[in-house]
Amino acid sequence: MEPSLDVEIEKLQSKISSIKEQLRIHASTLITAPSTRQLLTEGEQALRNGSDNGAPRKKLSLKQKLLNHSTLQQAHTQQCLYRACAAITTFRAQDPDPRAVDGGAILGLRIEVASRARFLRPYYVLLNRPYPGGSRHLRVHRHTLPPCIPLAGLAGRYLPPPPATGKAKASDEGAGSGRAKPQDLARFARSLRREVVRYHHRLGVVADLRKAAGLGGRKKMEEGDGQGGEEDGEDGREGQPQGIRLVDITPADAEVKQLTIEWADGRTGRLVMGDDGEILKLVVVGENGRDREAGRDFLGGAVRVEDVVRRLATLV
Amino acid sequence: MARLSVPTTARLPSSLRVDPSNPAVTKILGRLSRSSLLTVVLDWLDDNNLPLAQPYLRRGPGDESEDEDEDDETDDFYPPARSVQALRELYLSLQARKGSKREVLDRITEGDWRHGLSLYQLAMADLQNLYDHPTSQKWSAYRIVPLKPPHDPDGEEPPEVDQQSLTIPRFHPSTFLKNLQAQVLPDVKAHYNFDQHKTLPLLLLRIFIVDSPYNTSLSLQTPASSTTTAASFDASRTVYIAFPNASPHIFISKPQTTTTATTATATLTSTASASRAGSGAGAGESRSLRALLVEGIPKALARPLQRQRFALRSTSLVTRNLAELVARRGGGRTNAAGGGWSVYADEGSSSSKRRGRETPLDLVLPSPPLSEQEGDCSAVVVGGGGGSGSGRGKRAAPGAAAAVMMMSAEERREERAAKRARLVARARFADTAKMGDGKGVERVDVVVEDAFPRLEGEVVDGEVEEEEEGAAETAAPSAGRGGRKSQVDAILQRVSGDDEDDGQEESEAAQGWRPYVRLTFHGPHVFAGIRQLVECGIIEGERMPGWMTGEEGVTIGAVRHGRIRGHKGSGL
Repeated sequence: MEPSLDVEIEKLQSKISSIKEQLRIHASTLITAPSTRQLLTEGEQALRNGSDNGAPRKKLSLKQKLLNHSTLQQAHTQQCLYRACAAITTFRAQDPDPRAVDGGAILGLRIEVASRARFLRPYYVLLNRPYPGGSRHLRVHRHTLPPCIPLAGLAGRYLPPPPATGKAKASDEGAGSGRAKPQDLARFARSLRREVVRYHHRLGVVADLRKAAGLGGRKKMEEGDGQGGEEDGEDGREGQPQGIRLVDITPADAEVKQLTIEWADGRTGRLVMGDDGEILKLVVVGENGRDREAGRDFLGGAVRVEDVVRRLATLV
Repeated sequence: MARLSVPTTARLPSSLRVDPSNPAVTKILGRLSRSSLLTVVLDWLDDNNLPLAQPYLRRGPGDESEDEDEDDETDDFYPPARSVQALRELYLSLQARKGSKREVLDRITEGDWRHGLSLYQLAMADLQNLYDHPTSQKWSAYRIVPLKPPHDPDGEEPPEVDQQSLTIPRFHPSTFLKNLQAQVLPDVKAHYNFDQHKTLPLLLLRIFIVDSPYNTSLSLQTPASSTTTAASFDASRTVYIAFPNASPHIFISKPQTTTTATTATATLTSTASASRAGSGAGAGESRSLRALLVEGIPKALARPLQRQRFALRSTSLVTRNLAELVARRGGGRTNAAGGGWSVYADEGSSSSKRRGRETPLDLVLPSPPLSEQEGDCSAVVVGGGGGSGSGRGKRAAPGAAAAVMMMSAEERREERAAKRARLVARARFADTAKMGDGKGVERVDVVVEDAFPRLEGEVVDGEVEEEEEGAAETAAPSAGRGGRKSQVDAILQRVSGDDEDDGQEESEAAQGWRPYVRLTFHGPHVFAGIRQLVECGIIEGERMPGWMTGEEGVTIGAVRHGRIRGHKGSGL
């Protein structure tokens, strides 16, 4: 009795929330429609022109509210448009820490990543200006990048700290161009995004590889067992040419530059990818040491990992 | 068993059996509860583990009759089982019914594994203990940073950390182990066991260290039987090293002696950075062991052929909670976005709706995050409402202050103030530092290095901090902390040494009176406690300094100008 009631309540609640969500979407569309906006501004003007009786005041405040909401919504729509079109957007934020440097002013970088035809949660880099003496040099304050993105190295390259007052003099004497390198936020953002996108592309290509290896196997043994796993089904792939019977493909390091490939017959391989998905190295080790033949078979003259994906997809 | 024992530099093999009467065995097994003991035994009997955990079985079916006679003669209390399958069923039946732990323990040591437990079995039992008591180890987090190769191969100066390098250290378990073994001294034998953590994205390496030059069973004898090797199995120690997936960090646990024989003078986080580790070696035994590890790990990770060398750098985070470590130094987004900043890192775990809102294709105007809870309570009643409800119940726990607040909550003004306090807490802590999130640090040491305040407002600020310390201390009375002081200071000195950018600030040190103020927060979940105090209105949330939200992700730090020095939170 009770569980069924609970289920019903849950169902209703999810229904409510979905309806509310729909309502919100419709409201946001309606309120930014040009006609609505015109209506709102017109009404406001009419009211302002008209006498200020007691009764319409309430109406006015309501309209004002709606107008405010409409303006907000428009701003948000514009922001979304920018975000959708430009991969890097900036925003301002306030550090909640009362003792924050520079009055808590924060410049945020928002890096959009699209993968598999959908936007992922953006990565954020929050910069502040901690250096004394009114220097306008930025510094990475907080960020949400995974540790496999070399943020520290990039920041060291493109956002070097200003020369310390004491040290600057010493270095002035030593080198003729004693001034530190200027900061270049645009290049920093660009190279950072490049790293992020590369990382996601590498992730994507690994997923493609797995799919190509797994799907092909399943196609071949269609009438056989229909296990849903991506990498399983090695038993049904006897008919595959050149012994490409893969059991598993997994990224082996944080940056997803190295892949571990396992064959059904116990051979294991390590594929090293470059930054942009070019194949740097492939080593296959079988029972009797290195198996160069299998490596050549696997690659088939491919230069990039995408070629391997294509090859696997056609082969199996 | 080998008849001849030759000192070698090889590691201890997993199949090496330890006598069940050994105190280490009883200690390791005795720590487990009955149910986990049975789980471990069934794991041993699993087909994958069986080769390294052979139980004592009756001999083959050929001489069965003879066997029976033998049994009758010896009147064995735990007759050996006929097959592994039978044994498996026996332990399953033990699992089904109730009984004492002693019964299972005796059965293992005197019955089915009377010929000894292999080191592999002990490692499995010890790991089970770690899963049962996740806070039994004290971990410190280190960051693996690339080193600049020294210019002159014969140069004396230590290689410095490369700030601009773009390489992310990579980790390969078996290569690492091989290299680490090469770093271990020949008079110490170690047994290594890798295991993937059951719930967290971690690879655990258990190192079991015995002071013996032999890698045969000779090294595992108790000193009673062999007087020559005084420090043998009795002085064994266990160290865990955890490698979080996809993260250039490493967590090292405090070495633990397996038996109580050796004095536990272990001091955690010894001379941490590898460049300085050499100077600290030789102080205490386990201290030097840790130093050895800290020194050896970067070398084991290094790949000299590719000119990649690494160093370990302490990240000032010491805690018993592995989940917190994974959140702070793991492979996710939350490493450098703690406290209130975690709104940026939130992957939408709380509700799928929030995740959708982050895409630029969603045009619905986001309601301000703080009004959301009040705005559409029905939508978040499962997640947010429940969370706040449980928070409410827990909030009554801290004591009288909370109770007073609840009582006078009828008054609207007070209620509004309480709500505001809650909102402020939400703004400062976001979704972190909740009591039930399982990511708590149990101790935070902070030294305030600011000059004595002259302004009225800052005096109040200082008082708040002092009061906070008192409140946190009363919540969980701390153990003796006198002995730790000097060591915390040493770490702080090192931290200040690391911070080059504080160079210009040092000149200010001369002016103004700087009292020595050290705050220690102690409790099961320090920052959740602070959050509760903010929600109760005891701490003024808006004026609370940022380091009290835990957003820096450190447990030891020095505060200068109201901020933790060294920009720890940025992760750079």
